[in-house]
Amino acid sequence: MTEPLLQHLTPDELELWAQGLLPAARDIHLAQCAECRALGERERKLFRELARLPRFAPEFGFVERVMGRVRIPSPSNEFENR
Amino acid sequence: MRAATSNAGDGVIGAKDRPSNLTGASDPEVAQWAQHGHEPAFRELVRRYERPVFSLLYRMVRDRALAEDLAQETFIKVLNGIKSYNPQFKFSSWIFKIANNAAIDHLRKRDLDTLSLDGSPHATTPEEMSATALQLGDRGESPLQEVEARELGSAIERAIAKLRPEYRACILLRHVEGHSYEEIARILDLPLGTVKTYIHRGRNELRVYLEDRKA
Ligand SMILES: [Zn+2]
Repeated sequence: MTEPLLQHLTPDELELWAQGLLPAARDIHLAQCAECRALGERERKLFRELARLPRFAPEFGFVERVMGRVRIPSPSNEFENR
Repeated sequence: MRAATSNAGDGVIGAKDRPSNLTGASDPEVAQWAQHGHEPAFRELVRRYERPVFSLLYRMVRDRALAEDLAQETFIKVLNGIKSYNPQFKFSSWIFKIANNAAIDHLRKRDLDTLSLDGSPHATTPEEMSATALQLGDRGESPLQEVEARELGSAIERAIAKLRPEYRACILLRHVEGHSYEEIARILDLPLGTVKTYIHRGRNELRVYLEDRKA
């Protein structure tokens, strides 16, 4: 019904655009549609902020606390049997 | 002390099969070494995933001590069940699935315990949301809570906290951990279409929360 050129970008396409992966055919729509461009910019800004979130570390000694409660399986010699 | 004791696997796994460079090995390789009882492989898996898993849990429950407990629970479950790991699947998907389940279980129990309290992760009305925001920001009594307020106090962290847990998990797995939609569907045991919907709604809500603050 609607011509692809006229269709607004879907959320998936906006994500592709923010990653620089939007197919050229849809880029044409973006070039003509201020609404999609504005939304795309807002999405890109959000992606950037999310991607910059730091990773937190648990308290020092986490590995040892975990290893203290893990049962190491008795070593098998499956490698030799294969 | 444990590190100093000799690894029980060394005697059985031939020297030629021993991983020469554990840190350079892929996740499935390390997991397979763990399946064969190679203790350093267990440590390597914990080292690789302690931060991503802890960060996800911390952002889900917003309580450092609790996130650490849930992270420990996750690793113990994963490592004690390492024999059931299927290397055809991503190790990260498996561990995040168990971590997310731990977080969601906890949040459900907490909701049942504190149905009447504000700050519900399911806040939908503006009143509920501002109650949530107040609760998140104004509780710097203990040193640990001060750390939490500092670490999770930015606008974006507070906006993430306002998302309902299902949206929050999806957004974190997609945009912080970089999983594909398909992987997230596997991790969360949800249909692909549902994952997409949650992520799109989550992003819309985040944009609204962030833009409201600036307005
Ligand atoms: Zn448009």
